[in-house]
Amino acid sequence: MIVKRVWRCLFVLSAATALATAAPTVARPAMGLLGELPAEWRDDLGRTVQLDSLYGQRVILAMAYATCHRICPVTMRNLQQLQQQLDARGSAATFVIVGYDPDADDPQAWHQFRIRRNLLRGNWLFLTGRSNQQVRALAARLGFEFWKYDEHVIHDGRVVVLDAHGQLQLSFGPGAALDAAAIAGGNAIDSRGS
Amino acid sequence: MSHLRVLFIGLLLALAASFSTAAWAAGSAAATAGDARLQALERKLDNSLQTIDQLAARVHELETQLAPAAAADEADRLAKVESDLAQMTAASSAATSADRGLAMHGFIDVGIGTHNVYDPARHGATVGAVDFYLSPQLGERVKGLVEMNVEVAHGSGSVGVDLERTQIGYQFSEAATLWLGRFHTPYGYYNTAFHHGLQIATSLRRPRFLAFEDQGGILPAHTTGLWLTGEARDGDARLRYDLFVGNGQHIIGGTLDPQAAGSFDGQVVVGGRLGLKPGGVLGDLQFGVSYLSGRVSSEDNPGLTRLTAAGLYAYYDTDSWEHQAEYYLFRNEDLLGGTGTHRSSAGFVQLGYRNGLYTPYVRYERTALDQTDSYFSA
Repeated sequence: MIVKRVWRCLFVLSAATALATAAPTVARPAMGLLGELPAEWRDDLGRTVQLDSLYGQRVILAMAYATCHRICPVTMRNLQQLQQQLDARGSAATFVIVGYDPDADDPQAWHQFRIRRNLLRGNWLFLTGRSNQQVRALAARLGFEFWKYDEHVIHDGRVVVLDAHGQLQLSFGPGAALDAAAIAGGNAIDSRGS
Repeated sequence: MSHLRVLFIGLLLALAASFSTAAWAAGSAAATAGDARLQALERKLDNSLQTIDQLAARVHELETQLAPAAAADEADRLAKVESDLAQMTAASSAATSADRGLAMHGFIDVGIGTHNVYDPARHGATVGAVDFYLSPQLGERVKGLVEMNVEVAHGSGSVGVDLERTQIGYQFSEAATLWLGRFHTPYGYYNTAFHHGLQIATSLRRPRFLAFEDQGGILPAHTTGLWLTGEARDGDARLRYDLFVGNGQHIIGGTLDPQAAGSFDGQVVVGGRLGLKPGGVLGDLQFGVSYLSGRVSSEDNPGLTRLTAAGLYAYYDTDSWEHQAEYYLFRNEDLLGGTGTHRSSAGFVQLGYRNGLYTPYVRYERTALDQTDSYFSA
């Protein structure tokens, strides 16, 4: 009787294994929210960057424009502090800054921006969109509200965090303190200060 | 009678007997035929059952053969569904304002205080203006810009509506966009950098001589006409140019009017601006020159004055400092009174320090206007 049960269990296990092996495979890995964002961008050296190539990394994403002297400098300062805190915790993250205005903020402008502000770490990406539409699509998907008033960009200082699975982990609204502990922690979707 | 009755009964019995015999005979024949039919049916049923068994076996055989292919099809189908879903999501995310209708933005200006700079007799809460701003993209190269201001007059408190800017532009390239309509006249820095939305400017009030026309400004803040603008880049250095031609200004009740309804005196104003942002270590600095000239008419005099103004500007903007300066020289020619040419000047310097939420600033403004110049006295 026991032998029969063992054989039955083995049969069930082997059948399950066979079924799992034969289960339908997806054409590309599900990348969560990251996979839904416009994919192709240019970095500050003019190189093409595929946003979904960041899958598997924790991504801290903000939007900015290079000539902003009111909100964006504060955002950059906060992000630099966050970088230090994450370093102290031994947590890795990729910082992505997406330009609001691809016409004004081309790769050259971002490159100068990085040099002037000493934002030269390799895990910081300053991205320029191929078009205004592309930038708007990303902003809409991530909840960045902005509009252009001639050469001014009316915007706030939102920061979002995508986890290693490309899912939205945290969203920091304007004025909210960037919480390194929460970022380095779990994957729960949270929204702060928004 | 009794014989007849006996005979009748006899006939009935005979008839009944003949019927029952016929019925028996018929029943017997039917029973024989039914057995044969039943047997035939049974045979057919057996055959059918065999056929069903064969078919079931064949179906099972086919299913066994097709199972891997079906699984592969299912995988493909799921992959396609996911791909379609991703595309739909991307398309949904990519929906622009054009897809969702025209986005309208704007500013609201309200305030409260014990001192009203425009009318000392008034105190308390105020409503300044509601500014509506639309910038529709009308095509790949065609765009529009509308700024409508519903404002409360400082003195009277009456509400007026102004189409501050109404322009349609065609973008040939980054280096050239041609606008048609009513626009902010490109001179100096302030007039085309800080518009009717007060939120973007450090100071709530413009320099006095750069005020909008209906607030006493002495330069035409708006022009109705054509405006060609663009910029050339070299690295992060930028050279910006503006050229414009429009309806000549008209003075109504002491206020400059850009004649948005069309020029009725045929006069024109022309001008331009050239600005440089050097980039590099001077990336926060920009400076330039501007010039405008045109005949200005008034309600009584169609060719009152030839206005000529040449200006310099500089703007320095960093995370900590915001400095700006503009200076204009006027050389106005009296075309009616024969008083000749009048020279005047106006300028301001503003220094600001960005300190978090606050930007304390100081502004020094000086105007030296020739009061015999009919342009200023009209």
